[in-house]
Amino acid sequence: MKSLLMQSKAEILRILRNPYFVFWSLAMPILFYFVFTRVLNGDMPNPEQWQAHYLMSMAAFSVMGTSVMTFGLRLVQERTQGWSTALRTTPLTGTAYAAAKMFAQMLLNLLCIVVIFVSGWLINGVHLSAAQWLASGLWIVLASLPFLALGGLIGCMKKVDTANGISNMLYMGLAISGGLWMPFEIMPEAVQRIGKWLPSYNYGEGAWSIAAGGTPSATSVVLLLGYLAAFMVLSGYVRKKQEAV
Amino acid sequence: MKSVIELKNISKTFRGKKAVDGVSFAIEKGTVTALLGPNGAGKTTAMSMMLGLLEPSEGSVNLLGGSPGDRDIRDRIGVMLQEVAVMDGLKAGELIDLFRSYYSRPADRDYLIGLSGLSPADLKRVAQKMSGGQKRSLGFALAMAGNPDVLFFDEPTVGLDTGARRRFWNEVRQLAKLGKTVLFSTHYLEEADSEADRILLFDQGKLAADGTPEEIKRALVKRSVSFLPETAENDCLKRAEGLLAVRPADKASVTESNGRIVVTAEDTDAVLRVLIESGLGIRDIRVDVGRLDAAFEQLTRNREANTLSETQEAI
Repeated sequence: MKSLLMQSKAEILRILRNPYFVFWSLAMPILFYFVFTRVLNGDMPNPEQWQAHYLMSMAAFSVMGTSVMTFGLRLVQERTQGWSTALRTTPLTGTAYAAAKMFAQMLLNLLCIVVIFVSGWLINGVHLSAAQWLASGLWIVLASLPFLALGGLIGCMKKVDTANGISNMLYMGLAISGGLWMPFEIMPEAVQRIGKWLPSYNYGEGAWSIAAGGTPSATSVVLLLGYLAAFMVLSGYVRKKQEAV
Repeated sequence: MKSVIELKNISKTFRGKKAVDGVSFAIEKGTVTALLGPNGAGKTTAMSMMLGLLEPSEGSVNLLGGSPGDRDIRDRIGVMLQEVAVMDGLKAGELIDLFRSYYSRPADRDYLIGLSGLSPADLKRVAQKMSGGQKRSLGFALAMAGNPDVLFFDEPTVGLDTGARRRFWNEVRQLAKLGKTVLFSTHYLEEADSEADRILLFDQGKLAADGTPEEIKRALVKRSVSFLPETAENDCLKRAEGLLAVRPADKASVTESNGRIVVTAEDTDAVLRVLIESGLGIRDIRVDVGRLDAAFEQLTRNREANTLSETQEAI
């Protein structure tokens, strides 16, 4: 139990000290939020609604980034640098290690959400009901699971450079085509057609609906669960194949 | 004495190639044992199987009366692998605390800090940014974090300067005195010779020799007696051959080089005695002991196989 706590603490420290995390998961979303709601929002028909909507986009963008980039890359690094092997010689179990990692990740996701929500309130005075804040925050944490699983899949890659390149592409691609960066409606129609099926769009959709006073659509929930299952099965398969030497 | 590690007929095959081939040995408590051999001889693979990082293709490993991968066994061992991996983002002191939390009876924190040789300022530095030598010293402290009974060091002194190397071996000797069992791999013969009680010599995946450093040296080093015939006409070479042929146990061989007759044998004292007692007319007798490192090099030449990278890949 003590080792689990210590490991979680260590994982949190590691993520917080990682400049990529601070940049991509905290600084960038807040900067984007400021730019797209205060500087470039002249032609938005309903600025208040847009401010709440885009706040959700940015919170989702932040948590998705941590899951896909930080988590996945960490796994590759730990393996290539021999850290995973070193840990296997200690009494710390693989399950405890994974649990500590997940716990740390979830806690930091929560931190990101709180920081971004607070900055939305500070920058634009975004006003939602307590239930809406809570529900949207909860949705962004829980619905990030498919992205953690995607991070796990990236974590199977052999080289840090490959993993870095691919996770960057996936992250940016998903964020843009899923409507997290710019309003989904201004995308070309082709992108919108594909985007509707992407995990990022459905992830955002849930939060946007809650901010607009509704609930996440069943389609989003089902699609996200499907992606979660697919990524998990896929990384389980890849891992098994890698082990069989 | 009780064995703490026991390998029975262990083999490991990677893609049809045997990295370790039918190795058996037992290690007793409180001893310092060196796994000696060139790169690719199978040392790391053998150690990985003793640690439960690799499953043997054949044979069995017993570590502290249990199976190497078991959690309660891992609680009692300390390991320093070739590549000292320090978790990014954590300071040296934090890593020591983290490792102590893994074990049921951790070693004293100050003791570990002493082992690492790190200053208070270094302990507050992110471990990843430390020099290779400092990382290795930290790795030693981390290996000791659980107050282990058995210690495994894979090429422990690579990258250490002379001072750190001396400190490390002093510490290892202290640990052995406390009854801890130490197993280390090295490709430096001098290191195995000066630091180990016993050497397991690996060559192409097989155990080529097993004994005290003295025994290993005797087996490796060529000793020879050379001399000149007293008079040009006596048929010295033939007569010497005849004398020694009746004593096959000496494993003597007689050659001639630049007019000198050279007898190479395991026990040169015995050869000398025979030659003198026989009254063979010889003069300018010299006894030579070959250079140990040269003999080792000879044994292990052209064996820089790629088994090492295969092992790492498999882990």
